[in-house]
Amino acid sequence: MDETLVAADGKNLRAVLCQRCGCRVLSAGTATLATRELLLPSMKKKSSLADESNPDCELLAEHWLVHDMFTFENVGFTKDVGNVKFLVCADCEVGPIGWHSLEEKSNFYVALQRVRHE
Amino acid sequence: MDSRPGYHRRFGGDGGNSNNIPYGDSPAITGAHGRRRKQPPRPADFKLQVIIIGSRGVGKTSLMERFTDDTFCEACKSTVGVDFKIKTVELRGKKIRLQIWDTAGQERFNSITSAYYRSAKGIILVYDLTKKETFDDLPKWMKMIDKYASEEAELLLVGNKLDCETDREITRQQGEKFAQQITGMRFCEASAKDNFNVDEIFLKLVDDILKKMPLDMMRSGLSNSILSLQPEPEVPPELPPPRPPRGSTRLRKARLPCAGMYYGGQRINFNPIFQPACSQRFCPKFCNFTRVTGENEPMNLLSNFS
Repeated sequence: MDETLVAADGKNLRAVLCQRCGCRVLSAGTATLATRELLLPSMKKKSSLADESNPDCELLAEHWLVHDMFTFENVGFTKDVGNVKFLVCADCEVGPIGWHSLEEKSNFYVALQRVRHE
Repeated sequence: MDSRPGYHRRFGGDGGNSNNIPYGDSPAITGAHGRRRKQPPRPADFKLQVIIIGSRGVGKTSLMERFTDDTFCEACKSTVGVDFKIKTVELRGKKIRLQIWDTAGQERFNSITSAYYRSAKGIILVYDLTKKETFDDLPKWMKMIDKYASEEAELLLVGNKLDCETDREITRQQGEKFAQQITGMRFCEASAKDNFNVDEIFLKLVDDILKKMPLDMMRSGLSNSILSLQPEPEVPPELPPPRPPRGSTRLRKARLPCAGMYYGGQRINFNPIFQPACSQRFCPKFCNFTRVTGENEPMNLLSNFS
């Protein structure tokens, strides 16, 4: 991965933006890099989230992790999908860009591959 | 109709446009320049919860979407609906995180959990000005607000679908009249379709909430505790309300409409579009509604509606 993204303390050096519309998701220095394999539905196919019989998913390992939802500058939370809420862009609603389990109340993951950096 | 070009963009969360009001924590960081910058991120000054309620089909979701951005493309949106959004706005030099709940799909009056109401600092009550029945539903929504919402919650009544003027069934006067009956309720008409008045709605509401907020609540007052992802189990309306009735509900107060409007100690006239919340500190006659206002409380946002 691009090492200009992460500070020595694991924080994001650059602001996290929506890939599509540039909406600011996280400010610089607010999230920590976390490695965890999470299954996120594809951003491409519209039906992937709704049609659970044919989940077109991607396993993503690198995420920005925050522990308080109010750390986000802008973000949308989907309705529950099982016990997960996916994160989407607050403006254009593209997504999912991240993952939140209702069982882990203070963990909010944003996949590095699903966003761009300022 | 919209004589304020660009106005609706100013407060958006559009980080892509550096001409927008800069975010305090990282103004104009681009590429490598910002990389080594080591300034602690500026936390939000306030966290406020806003809910949007109203009967089915009045355009609640459209209002929320319009506030966030009007460039969304249908094809990219996930088919699982958005539950709520966190949005950051800057107003009066304060950075405010809004948590906006759209209650679409829960339009049966009782199905919106009381927890939504209880924690809301702002409530946007929407009707469709082309559908009389959605206007006729308003008293039922008010009953829910009365029962569950904090008395301090700012209320805003919105007549949506102003773009459908030819199908109008509810006059502006009817909307105004309804809002006047309720202490502190503002009124405006809007069009989510044309993006008319939408951002103003949210910003006005936030502005009112801020004005009302005692100074010592700044920064520290609101914690996450009011905002949990999983609302408490629904309290059916048959049960006693979670807070004891205080003998004077909004609706009862409504029989004593407040004639005077004071800002910073000075009496002002009614604004024909927005009925300012009863903001006077001295209103011996009619209401006991008080708020903390600065002497120089500007009417800055109100002036946008005249």
